[in-house]
Amino acid sequence: MRTMFMTAALFAATSLSTAFASDLRMSWWGSDDRHVATQQALKVCGTKFGHTIAPEFTGFQGHQEKIATQLAGRTEADIMQVNWPWLPLFTKNGDGFADLNQYKDIIDLTQWSKSDLDSGSVKGKLNGISVSTTGRVFMFNKTTYDKAGIPIPKTWEELIAAAPKMKEKLGKEYFPFEGAALDARLMVILRTTQKTGKDLIDPATNKVAWSEAELAEGLEFYKTLVDKGVIESWKQVAAGGNTPLHENQKWAKGQIAGTYQWDSTYGKIATPMEKGQELVPVKLLTIEGAKTDGVYRKPSMLFSISRNSKDPKGAAQVLNCLLNDPEAVKIMGATRGIPSSKVALDTLTKEGKIKPVQLEAYKRVMEPTSPGVSPLNEHPRVTEVFDTNFEAFAYGQQSSKEAATEIIAGINQALTGI
Amino acid sequence: MSGDNRFLGLFYLSPFIIGLLVFTALPFLASLYLSFTNYNLMNEPVFTGLQNYIRLFTNDRTFRKSLWVTLIYVFTTVPLKLVFALFMAVILNYKLKFINVFRTAYYVPSILGGSIAIAVLWRYIFADVGLVNMGLTMLGFEPVNWFGDPTNALFTITLLRLWQFGSAMVIFLAALQSIDKTLYEAASIDGAGKWTSFVYITLPLITPVIFFNLIMQMVQAFQEFNGPYIITQGGPLKSTYLLPIYIYDEAFKRFDMGYASAIAWVLFLIIMALTLIAFWSSRHWVYYAGDKRS
Repeated sequence: MRTMFMTAALFAATSLSTAFASDLRMSWWGSDDRHVATQQALKVCGTKFGHTIAPEFTGFQGHQEKIATQLAGRTEADIMQVNWPWLPLFTKNGDGFADLNQYKDIIDLTQWSKSDLDSGSVKGKLNGISVSTTGRVFMFNKTTYDKAGIPIPKTWEELIAAAPKMKEKLGKEYFPFEGAALDARLMVILRTTQKTGKDLIDPATNKVAWSEAELAEGLEFYKTLVDKGVIESWKQVAAGGNTPLHENQKWAKGQIAGTYQWDSTYGKIATPMEKGQELVPVKLLTIEGAKTDGVYRKPSMLFSISRNSKDPKGAAQVLNCLLNDPEAVKIMGATRGIPSSKVALDTLTKEGKIKPVQLEAYKRVMEPTSPGVSPLNEHPRVTEVFDTNFEAFAYGQQSSKEAATEIIAGINQALTGI
Repeated sequence: MSGDNRFLGLFYLSPFIIGLLVFTALPFLASLYLSFTNYNLMNEPVFTGLQNYIRLFTNDRTFRKSLWVTLIYVFTTVPLKLVFALFMAVILNYKLKFINVFRTAYYVPSILGGSIAIAVLWRYIFADVGLVNMGLTMLGFEPVNWFGDPTNALFTITLLRLWQFGSAMVIFLAALQSIDKTLYEAASIDGAGKWTSFVYITLPLITPVIFFNLIMQMVQAFQEFNGPYIITQGGPLKSTYLLPIYIYDEAFKRFDMGYASAIAWVLFLIIMALTLIAFWSSRHWVYYAGDKRS
């Protein structure tokens, strides 16, 4: 009888564990440190819940295309790292991913602020949980500025004034700042947001919130920076093969001495700098009469669960473990930026897992004011219209007024029906 | 053929036939259907009739620009590449010491040319502070803005394609080697020089191969993607924005699969039309063995 009871208990226990154990997949993009940390954390979380989680990781380039193709073929991973601006593309009505509110008994949603939860929600459905918050910050090469005997600028006017001094002292190949393509677009958006107090797209109407004159002024400001030698011209940047900043020799040598980048890229762009050069994140440059600091702040990425997952509860267990479990959080560290989850942030702070300079950059993102950023700012149709006309303006093929007219009309047309 | 062997050939061919049907024929037909729909990958395709084509021809400046750039690219690279490949094949047809080493060396770029690594290398070689500009500066010339100047950018991309002349060259070389040497001897006895022999013997006898290379190179040039996508991303000012890049952007960046399919079909029809023109014109300049024309 005892043997029978033991056998039955053993059978029941085995059945129980196999009933809840799943073969799951998780996909993400990132760099090597993130790949290593996530795989280790997945092993820990998998062991805790008896799941096997197959990792699928790549660089950022091409990841959106991969996810889109998988979603179309319903072959996406159970857990996905999703870029925030992809929400309007992949889940227009909130049905593109599983609604995480359904799993709030598994995922401890109280660890996120309301604004974090709102940013991952589409039409009331929580399609993604914020992993971390990111934003654009100014970073300057302190070593180059010190060599030129110029203090790091605090206002746009000081930045413009730095150019002739730097060139006089160090040579004409030196530029106190950089900006072309995406960086230039975000710089114009920042400057115009500061002046108008409004984001590019009005979330109430899904139309451009700026007048033609306001946008034209922002574009003219870019031209001023080029004309005054603050930044290289668009044409000159293209001559270098459009290499990313961290692969740019001029950046590594300190000849380009400032940039406006995502705070999470600090490590990536600081690493290739030649020995002895110091990169410091600073407060947003300001302008007299600014209506807002204009910080471009957004969730850097979300974790979502596939609506086609065979075991969404298992996926929710793993997701919660990765973002809220102290053991997994310690392994993940700050490889995805400073975490949005309160318990994760506390854990990493106590463990000293966040570098002071990362915290400094994070503060620069979280402290300033902002009218809010629409995910539609990065909608591919919006960026295409903006960049095409902005480039034409930068090459002198359009006036600022013509470019502004085209941009506003083009974006409004592109967003019709979205 | 016995009953057992009746389907053996078909069985051996089946991997190819299945592959052709699943990976070529089906997507080919699917793209035709999708070109008449509004399809963003996330929802089911919605039939919209000719709307994509109407938009393409009446309200798309980018398409017109991209088509123009593609035609310039094709009509520049194909003749240049054919002439250069033939020129190199003629040189490598001479009996020289280490000729096989040279033949291999000149063929290597064809193997590497289409790769991502070479495209990245190209970007560094022609960058403002790259090898080419360093060389120009050392020789006393002004550095050239290869990628930033719209007039130079397409030329730089064209050079990458020309560099991959090896495959066309090998085919030309094989054709040159198959020409009967007695024809040259007879011409020489009649007083023909090398140039005359080349124009009146070599060229006519290799016209089938020229025709083959013309078609192949033209089709490949219309489908060029890697080089401009990696090196210039189609810029500046869309001066290297070839149609395949536009198709890719519409399909996988803007998720407008229906529109991308419509562009792809227009590109297909252009290639088809030019190929038919080439075939039609070949009656006047391609000579085959046993041809009765004088």
